[in-house]
Amino acid sequence: MSRASSLARYALWQFRDFVFERGVAILILSFLWGYALIAPLRGAMGSQMSRASPIWPLMLQGASTLVSLSVLIALNGIISSDRKLGYYRFLFSKPVNPVLYYAQAFFVGLIGVVLSMLVLSSLMHTILPIFSIVNFLLYAALIYIAMGGIGFFVSAATRFDWVSLAVVWLGSRILRSLYGPKGDWRSKAVELLPPVHKLDEVANSLIGTGTAHATDVLWLLGYGALFFVLGLALLRWGSLAD
Amino acid sequence: MAGLPATDDAYYRTAALVIEFRNVGKIYKSLLGNSVKAVEEFSLTVVDGEILGIAGPNGAGKTTLIAMMLGYLRPTAGAVEINGLPARQYVERNGIGYLSELIAINPKWRAETALVRFATLAGISRSEIRQRVGYVIDLLGLDEHRDKKVKALSKGNLQRLGLAQALLRDEQILVLDEPTHGLDPVWTQRFRDIVEELRRPDRTILIASHNLDELQRLADRVAIIDRGRLQRVVSTGYENTAPLAGARFRVTLASGHELIRAVFPQAEDAGRGEYDVTVRSIKDLNTALADLIGRGALVASVVPERSVLEQQFREAVGESQ
Repeated sequence: MSRASSLARYALWQFRDFVFERGVAILILSFLWGYALIAPLRGAMGSQMSRASPIWPLMLQGASTLVSLSVLIALNGIISSDRKLGYYRFLFSKPVNPVLYYAQAFFVGLIGVVLSMLVLSSLMHTILPIFSIVNFLLYAALIYIAMGGIGFFVSAATRFDWVSLAVVWLGSRILRSLYGPKGDWRSKAVELLPPVHKLDEVANSLIGTGTAHATDVLWLLGYGALFFVLGLALLRWGSLAD
Repeated sequence: MAGLPATDDAYYRTAALVIEFRNVGKIYKSLLGNSVKAVEEFSLTVVDGEILGIAGPNGAGKTTLIAMMLGYLRPTAGAVEINGLPARQYVERNGIGYLSELIAINPKWRAETALVRFATLAGISRSEIRQRVGYVIDLLGLDEHRDKKVKALSKGNLQRLGLAQALLRDEQILVLDEPTHGLDPVWTQRFRDIVEELRRPDRTILIASHNLDELQRLADRVAIIDRGRLQRVVSTGYENTAPLAGARFRVTLASGHELIRAVFPQAEDAGRGEYDVTVRSIKDLNTALADLIGRGALVASVVPERSVLEQQFREAVGESQ
């Protein structure tokens, strides 16, 4: 049996781990969010709720935040946990390439997040028919690649990935708000930071209308993909043990 | 022990090379710039069919060496090769049966499920997995624990589970780091039997242990390391002609106590019919014992005060300090 096929078979175990260790948490969080936010809105607005409604942007903001949190949950410790807890020792004494193993885990996480968001968006669509399932899933997949790619890199580089990713994410937002519009060298420098400023705009357009600026989407995808590849390179040329 | 020639250097020079540490060094650097040399200029070859022990005090560098052999750590100097390939590349292509000192398996997994997962990763076909998992469960006496979660296993059972996953495939190379740690005397003996059964002309086994008695029994040679350096490689067998430089043995007599000093004038009475004697060689010991028995004494046992390995270990570690 080839190494690739045995690793592919192991994807089912990785998916099972995702469901029990992360998927359940994402769904609980989603339902809590739905119960806390959507139910009162629905009660207040009744069937009159439309995209023109003043609470529609709040809905979009909430949905995009939920996607970001789901991605954080999905990728937290994807590599660093195995290193911290020593699980890598038995996993990678088998004929397994760690680069392929974690790349597969990343895509299993993508499927898991999209499926979780499918459950959530189906429910949302039932409550609010204007909420598009397809648009929401596209946004979730985009953010998984954009934000998850950076999370993957951070998890390959450090043991404290959740904290590090939060610092990178919030730090980028703060630095962009401070220096972004000035037009000097600092504003050019912050352009290299993760494109978190594009998230709100993309969320509004993609979830709301199903369209988005191609450059924004490519910038987000490219940034995430670049860091995902850098994470793979760290796995290839770095050490698994500390 | 039916192993390889213990002291035949020519054999080790000409036998098929499996693992080669070539001038390997590893320096750990902290973020503050402090550095610790864990391994220095370490060179050693391990051949086909050999059981090699690795002994050393705590912090000697044993686990670091093994981590470099599995490709988990990159050497800062030199190279580790297995069958001519860089270590990590070999492991990714072929796998190694590895039991780590720290048994780290997800505590939420059940014992049998963990083995099925590892078997899947090891590339065992779907149709063979049940059979191989069943085999190692029987071999390591884990049947009554197969449905238990890993976190519910005792230290000894966890150790056996670790060993079970290392034996899932018919690996050419086995690396066992402190394999009997946490095992009771029954399973320690069983482990030794299993290792003897695993001995094969085309299989190489490395055992790192603090337990010199275990290495004396199992290994063909033992590499003694201290402070990250190879101090010496010791054969575990006794040789008739090899001088023992004043080795001490404890001789227990069932009868004929009055004869002991006629044969061993320097014998020290250790009580309960036991005497400590010092000899220059195994040949001298045997000549004296034959004389003693010839005079009518009944010898119940003869035990070295320290094994060859223990003697060498003390000398090697003492020298390095």
